[in-house]
Parts: sequence; C-alpha cells; structure tokens
Amino acid sequence: MWVIYTLNGLYFAALLFLTSLGLNIILGVMGILNLAHGSLYAIGAFIAAWTIIQIVGKVPVFILFVSLLSGLVLAGIVGFLMEKSLIRAMYKRTLEYQLLLTFGALLLLEDVIKMIWGGQAYYASAPFELLGKVDILGHVYPIYFLFVMFITFLAGLFIWFFMGRTKLGIMLRAISLDREMATGLGLDIGRLSTFAFVLGSGLAGLAGALVVPTTPALLGIGMEPLILAFIVVVVGGLGSLKGALVGALLVGFTRSFGIAIIPEIELPLLFMIAGIILVVKPQGLFGR
Amino acid sequence: MVKNPRWVAYVLIFIILLFIPRLLSIHDLMLFEYGLTFAIVGLGFNLLLGYTGLLSFGHGAYFAVGAYTVGMIAKYFPGAYSLEILIPAALLFSLIISIIFGFVCVRHTKIFFSILALSLSMLLYALLFKLYHLTGGSDGLRVPLPTLLGISFKGIRRPEFLSGTYYYFLLVLFAISCVIMRGIVSSPFGKALQAIRDNEVRAELIGIRVRRYRLYAFIISGMFVGLGGALWSFVNGHVTADLSHWVFSGEIVYMTLLGGFGILEGPIIGAILFTYLKLYAMGNTQYWMFVIGATLIVLVLLLPNGVAGAIASLLAKIKRKTVKGTPC
Amino acid sequence: MGATAVSVGALGGGTKAIGQAKRPIPTTPIKIAAVSFLTGAAAAPFGIPGDNTYKMCADVINKEGGILGRKIELLSKDENGGVDAQVKLARKLILEDKVDVDLGYISSASCLAVLPLADESGGLIVAYDCGTHELMEGKKSPYEVPNFKLGFRSSAHLGIDNIGLALFIKKYYPNIKKIAGINQDYAWGRDSWLIFETAMKKLMPQVQVVKTLWPPLGNTDFTAHISALIGAEPDIVHSSLWGGDAVTFTKQALGMDYFKKIKMAYSRGEPYPQEVGKDYPEEQIICCAGTHYFLFTPPDKTSAGLQKWFVGEYQKRYGKYPTYPCYHAYQALYAYKNAVEKAAKTAGGWPTIEEIAKAMTGLTFPSPSGNITIREDHNAIEDVLIGISKLTPKYPFPILDPKRMEIFPAAQVNAPVGMRTVDWINSWK
Repeated sequence: MWVIYTLNGLYFAALLFLTSLGLNIILGVMGILNLAHGSLYAIGAFIAAWTIIQIVGKVPVFILFVSLLSGLVLAGIVGFLMEKSLIRAMYKRTLEYQLLLTFGALLLLEDVIKMIWGGQAYYASAPFELLGKVDILGHVYPIYFLFVMFITFLAGLFIWFFMGRTKLGIMLRAISLDREMATGLGLDIGRLSTFAFVLGSGLAGLAGALVVPTTPALLGIGMEPLILAFIVVVVGGLGSLKGALVGALLVGFTRSFGIAIIPEIELPLLFMIAGIILVVKPQGLFGR
Repeated sequence: MVKNPRWVAYVLIFIILLFIPRLLSIHDLMLFEYGLTFAIVGLGFNLLLGYTGLLSFGHGAYFAVGAYTVGMIAKYFPGAYSLEILIPAALLFSLIISIIFGFVCVRHTKIFFSILALSLSMLLYALLFKLYHLTGGSDGLRVPLPTLLGISFKGIRRPEFLSGTYYYFLLVLFAISCVIMRGIVSSPFGKALQAIRDNEVRAELIGIRVRRYRLYAFIISGMFVGLGGALWSFVNGHVTADLSHWVFSGEIVYMTLLGGFGILEGPIIGAILFTYLKLYAMGNTQYWMFVIGATLIVLVLLLPNGVAGAIASLLAKIKRKTVKGTPC
Repeated sequence: MGATAVSVGALGGGTKAIGQAKRPIPTTPIKIAAVSFLTGAAAAPFGIPGDNTYKMCADVINKEGGILGRKIELLSKDENGGVDAQVKLARKLILEDKVDVDLGYISSASCLAVLPLADESGGLIVAYDCGTHELMEGKKSPYEVPNFKLGFRSSAHLGIDNIGLALFIKKYYPNIKKIAGINQDYAWGRDSWLIFETAMKKLMPQVQVVKTLWPPLGNTDFTAHISALIGAEPDIVHSSLWGGDAVTFTKQALGMDYFKKIKMAYSRGEPYPQEVGKDYPEEQIICCAGTHYFLFTPPDKTSAGLQKWFVGEYQKRYGKYPTYPCYHAYQALYAYKNAVEKAAKTAGGWPTIEEIAKAMTGLTFPSPSGNITIREDHNAIEDVLIGISKLTPKYPFPILDPKRMEIFPAAQVNAPVGMRTVDWINSWK
C-alpha cells in the first residue's frame, strides 16, 4: 500500500504545484496577489468539461485529451482581458486597489460562470475511464492520475526552461527581482506583465481542466484550490518556483500519509504546516 | 479646518440618531444596527488601512473572536452572560489574538503582510470549523439575549430588545468609539502612523519606531473590530465560522473603500451603505455576486476615494467656487 | 390529485356557533418565499431540484385555482452568501416583504440561525431539507416541545437515515466484522456518523470500527482516502457524502477497484445512481432520506396517485427523475397548503399565522412518498426506505433491487417526542 500512498501524495502535489505555479508567477513578476486565481481555475474546469461533453464519442480519443487544453486557452484569454482592463488601470495606484480589483473580479467571475454554465454539474469522465487502470504491486491505480503527473511534470519543465534559458523568461525574472532596475534597462514592463499574467492564468485554467475527468465542474470549484495554492506560496516562499515545487510536495505527502495514519488531522494539518513555517521562517522555505 | 462646525454637526447627528427608533420600522432599525456595528469595525479597520497604510484581508478573524466570545460565554458560562462582562471579555480576547497575529504580520509589509493576515484568519477559520464539539463547527453558536446591569430581558423578543435598550447601548458605544478614534487619529501617535504610511524610511530616520507603532495600530484595530463583532452578534442572533473566512474580511475592506479610507467618517458611511447594498442585491437577483463585484470594480476605478471622499471633493469644489466669489 | 379550489361559499358548512364574523378571503396572491442554494456546491444536487419543485408545484396549484382561491406568488431566493446574510434576508422577507410563509433552508447552519426568527419576527418558517437533529432537540431528555411556536420542519432529520442503515445492515449483513466511515468534516458528517455509530454499537456490538475518515467539504481528491480504506479492509463503509463529493468519490473509487472488496452504505445516497449513470456500482446500500424514491409506490391510494403524477410531471418539465430534495420541497409547500385549508375550516375564513401554525402541528397529509405527519414538536417524522443498487435493462442507471428493499416504519427510526435521539438509541434493549 505504501507505494499507492506515495503515488497519491504525488498526484495531490502535482495539482497543487500547477495551481500555485501560476499564482507565484504573477506574484513574482507583477507583485499582484490575484484573488481571482480560483475563478480562472474554475473557468478552465468548466470549459474543459463542457467541451468534452460536446465532443465525446464523436472524435478520436487523442482529440479528447487535447481538448483539455481548452482550459488553458480560455483561462489565458480571460486573464488577458482582466489584465488589460483592470490591472493595467491600477499600475500607478497602490496595492490595496489591485487586491480589491481582483476580489471584485472574483465575485464577478463566479456569477459570470453561473450565467454561462448554469447551476448544474458537468461530468467529463471520459478521459479518466479511457486510460484505464494499471496494476502496481498488487494494487490497482488509475492511469489518468499518472497522466496528470506527467503533464504537470512537462509544465514544470517548460516553465523552468523558459524562465532560465529563454530571453523572455529571463526578462520576466529580471522584473521580479528588481522592477525599477528592469525599467531602467529598457524592458517593456507593460507587455511583459501582460504576458506573465496570461501565463499564470493559463496555468490555473490547465489545472482546473485536468481535474474535471475525476470530479464534476461545479459552482465554487475554485475556492479550495485558491486557499491551497496560497498555503503552498506561504510555505514555499513568494515568487519562488522551487518553493512552489517543494511546498507542493511537502503538503502532498504529509496529507497522503496523514490521512492513512491519523485521519483526524486532515484539515488543520495544512494550516499547521503553514503555521510552523510562518513562525520559523516567515518568508517561506525559499523566499527572499 | 475650523473645528467647531464639525463638532456641532456631530452632536446634531447624535441627537438625531437618538430618535431613530421612532422614525424607522423595526426591520429597518435592525438593518441600521448592523450598519452601526460594522461602522465600528470600519473605524478600527481604517486605522490600519487608511492611516497606517497596511491592507489586511484577514480582519474577519478579530470580528470572529469578538462574536465567538459572546457565543462561547453563552454556551459555557451562562451565569456570566451579561453585557458588562461580555463587552470587556470580547475586547480582551481581541486584544490577545491581535497581539499574537499582529506580531507575526507586522514584521512584513505590503503583499506579504496581506498574505500573512489572510492566512492567519483562515487558520482561525479552520480551527473554529474543525473544533465542532467546542465551537459548534459549521453549525455555529446561538446568541441569546443578554442581561445588562442586572436587568433581564426574559420574555421579550429580540426585535423589541433591539429597538429598545440595546439600540441606545449600541449608540453610546458607537459614539465612544468615534470619539476615541478621533482622539487617536489626531494624537501624535496618529500623526506618526500617517508618517509611516507615507514614507517608511523617513519615519524610521526621524526616530519613529515603525514596527512597534504598526503593531499598536494593528492591536487597536483588532480590538475595535472585535468590539464590532461582539455587538453584531446580538443583532444577528447566531455566529458561524465564516466570520473568520477571508471573503468576509474582503467585505470589511469593501465597506471601508466604499465609504472612503481617506477620511475618518468614510468607513461609517461605507458600512451602512454596504449593509443595504448586499441585502437588496440578494433580495432582488440571483446574480448578486455579480452586482457586488461590479460595483466594487466601478468604485475602485471611478471613485477611489469612496463615497465620502467624493462628497468631500464635491464640497471642496463648492467651497472654492463660493470663496472665489461668484457674483450674486 | 392536487388542490381543489375552495371558495368562501363552499366553506359555509363549518360555521361557528355564536356571532361569527366570517373573515373574508383576500383576493391578493399569497406570497411564498422559497430559499434554496441557487449558487455554490449545494446548488446542483439539492438547491436547484428543490427550487424546480417549488416552481412546479406552485404552478400546478395555481392552475387548479390556488389555495382557497388565492394564487401563489413564489419568490425564489438564494441560500448562499453566508449565515448572516440569510438572517437578514429572512427578516426582510417576513417584516418588509410580508411573505405569508418562508419555506426553505438546506444547510443546517441556515436552519439553526433562521428558525428562531419565526417567533422573533412573528413569521411562519418551514425548514424543508436540513438534516440536523439538533434543530428541534433540547439539551437534555426530556425536553420541552415545541422549540419554536411558528417554526417547523416538514421533513424528518438525519436520524432516520442513520438508524435505518444500522437496522438494515443488521438484517441483511448480520455476519460482518468490520465497518468504517467516511464523512465530510463538518456538523452534517459528524452528526450522521454519531447517530450511525451509536445505533450500530447497540444493534451489532460485535462489529469493530476500523477507520473513520473526515475529508473536508468540497474535497476533489479522494485517492488518499480510498487507499486508506482499502488498506483497513472494512466490510461496509458508512458515508453521508453528498453532491459533487459523492460523485467524485464514486468515480475515483471505481478507478481504484475499491468496490470489488468494499460496500458503501450511503445515508442520503438516493440521487447518485442517477447522477453517475450505469457505471454506478451495484450492491451498494442506499438510503432515501425517507421514502423518497421515484419507483416507490406508497401504500395509500391518494399518495400513490400523487407519486405517479409527481414523477411524471417532474420528468416532463426537467428531464430527470425527481430526487429526495424534490420530495422534501413538495412536503414543505403542501404542509403549508394543507395547514391553511385545515385552519380555514375552523376559522371560517383566511386563517391567521397562529391558526395556521396550530393546524400544522399534528398535521398529517398525503404526499408522493406516503402520508407525512408533523408532530407536536413541529418536526416531521417519516418512514425510511433502504435498498441495494442493481442494474436493470430498463433504466440507464442502477435502481434499488425490489427484492431487497426495506421500509422501516417511522416509529422505529424517529425518537419519541421530547427525547434526544442519542439518548433514545442508548435506551434500546
């Protein structure tokens, strides 16, 4: 069973990592805490579920999986619109206004999702069922979870490569390290910030999309991931991608083994971890 | 600014407020009382936001502390369930919790401060929710009518209690809160806070102990919010863990902004407006979150100084016009 | 079937002996508020079906002439937004909008906060779906009834589900050795498990509890829980999971071959076979929160006719079979209607709120699930139906195997008036 517990921990960590990655990129590059991050996750979930329901049975299986990317795309678009209309207007202003705007956006988007998709549940389990199960040391494990871990791994790899090796990525990192200096060096903060916001939003949407084959898209689906992403950011350190990874793994494994050994501790466990980190190392494990 | 007219205006308003129970229906009066309790909350919250420049999305925690103090005493110490004990108890516990949380938070600023404040309030939320046998968990706790200085209100219903003795009790506490807050804000301490808000480095250089003063502001704001929470609990009759959830804290921020955080009176107006806004949105449409969210966005973009701020600018404009001496 | 229009003239038979002033029946519509979750996670499984049913029934009643000739004006409201918002909303509905009755409330927190407002504000409130047994129970047995003069609950509380499950398991699975529980970590989950565990200890003391899990509400990843349960090897696992959580759990568990070794006993599981579809596993123990099941035919003829109409009408309008929240909504609205009609006979006209409340106390009325009684403690009691899921060719999802269905009568699963449920169970021999 211990192998399965480990895999469970990895799966949870993968989703956490993906969600908090987006939050962290936006936080790092723009210094904005996007409270509507969960809404972008939800948008990704709904569009992916809806798309799969429309096309299931009518297209080859491969396309079904590709359609999960619709979550990434739509969330990215919404992120783009958000950045251009709201965030942009607030650059000159202070932090309070930016947070309030994203809070307002959260309320707005929750109802927009309801207006478009209504109050019913959207089930899109075809990808989950199609991939089947695999036998690991006598225990059954769904292949779809391995698929999610794989996609997250790819995403993480991509971001790491992008941030470290490409010109665009390095520019983004420059802005996150020292905004003023970056402006002084002639970087187009505006365009780059938009790009970061879109990237972060897209990642949230992708996480939402990956989840819907295993759980229905419902109103309010984005609220818990937002809080969890938060905890990972606090534990791992603001703006740190390594921190997001380590934080996600720490939370994922503690949860998985915690449930198996001491079930009562489940809910407060995550907050306890965050609490300990806050007291011992307030800027997070890899924070500045 | 000439002080006298302001004080005259305040006294006049206070006198008018004394007559409110005769003017409003019971329902409107109860709504107004919600607004008053949140006005106290807003006053306290604004000390931290408007005057010290720190934005906390976690002040629901202190509201919850105040409200749950009342609820827990009702459940476990019914013998001590009277206002003269409840209010100081609520203040005491808000003090304790704001010292603890504040100590962790004020070591940081801006985004990190906001994140920490939010996380700590969610920690309290998780505890209130989880410790179900102690706190009622998701069901919450009932808040019966308290006694006041030996006077018991057994036999009368809550609306009568709220439109009678309690209203005056609340009004007096509200007036005292306003006076205290005005005092704090005009004092050297208050000035120092504004200096910290405007330029932290310079404040440090002229000898203001930035971190310590921030902590004081945090604690004072926590106590005001806790007081508001306790007073609110009698109006609502029930307390639940969502009071510590960050979305509720967001409403506190919203109210303060709605009224305007540049002025002392701003949050008071914001609190009363928001109470009506949310209720009427919920009563009239199923997309009330859209309405609240959209108004927030419009507010931030068009009226960043809030309603009070807008009125203040308007008055200033009119003043300028009359001073310039338009003929006639 | 449904209501028949009764005009003042036809009431003429029930006259009062001395100097009665016949109260005229107003011609204005009756304002009925229906509060359910229209947003949030509880919307899809409960709030929207409940709201749909209110709309459907109001429509049908109006087509048949209304209640005593007065049409119903239904005000659908959202139960979301936090408990304080619900308190304000309920006060507004009663004091300002002056609704004739406020039906609603799915969440136990809403019920606990709102029901006291009935007496406080002088309005009639009927809770329709919340499960907490604490709503009407006092702190000790025996306790005084009723808890609220003008507050009622038109459905039975979670006691019937969990006691019923224990009785069912004892009858059909007397040889099991180990049980476990997976319930959401909030009052609903805790209360459900408490009642079930207490009943099991009494009925099958030899059975051992090997694991209790407490996922948070809205959890989307049950893999760790599923593995933990598989590892503990229970025979039957109790669960009060609902909505998206119940469906997610089922789907993820299917993926991990959980059901090959373990059976679930769902305390309010009736909607989920229809939700999940043909993949829903067989041999699961499912309780219907009462006798609310679209294939159940109540023994008395009036109710049987209502059931036939109800299932057909709901399907026609909404494309699905009605689930238990729909039946609960029916009960709330018709409790009011029947109480008004009963009170009108003695009042000789349109009854006051106090008279309606008096008529509702001790009221028995027919419904698609059978006769429902609201006792003197203002709580409804119901029989409970429990069955085992089985796939049949006729329906695209498992139904309850008619050969292994049990109905436990109300007296066996509802605590007597004035006695706390837990105390009552502990007093069984």
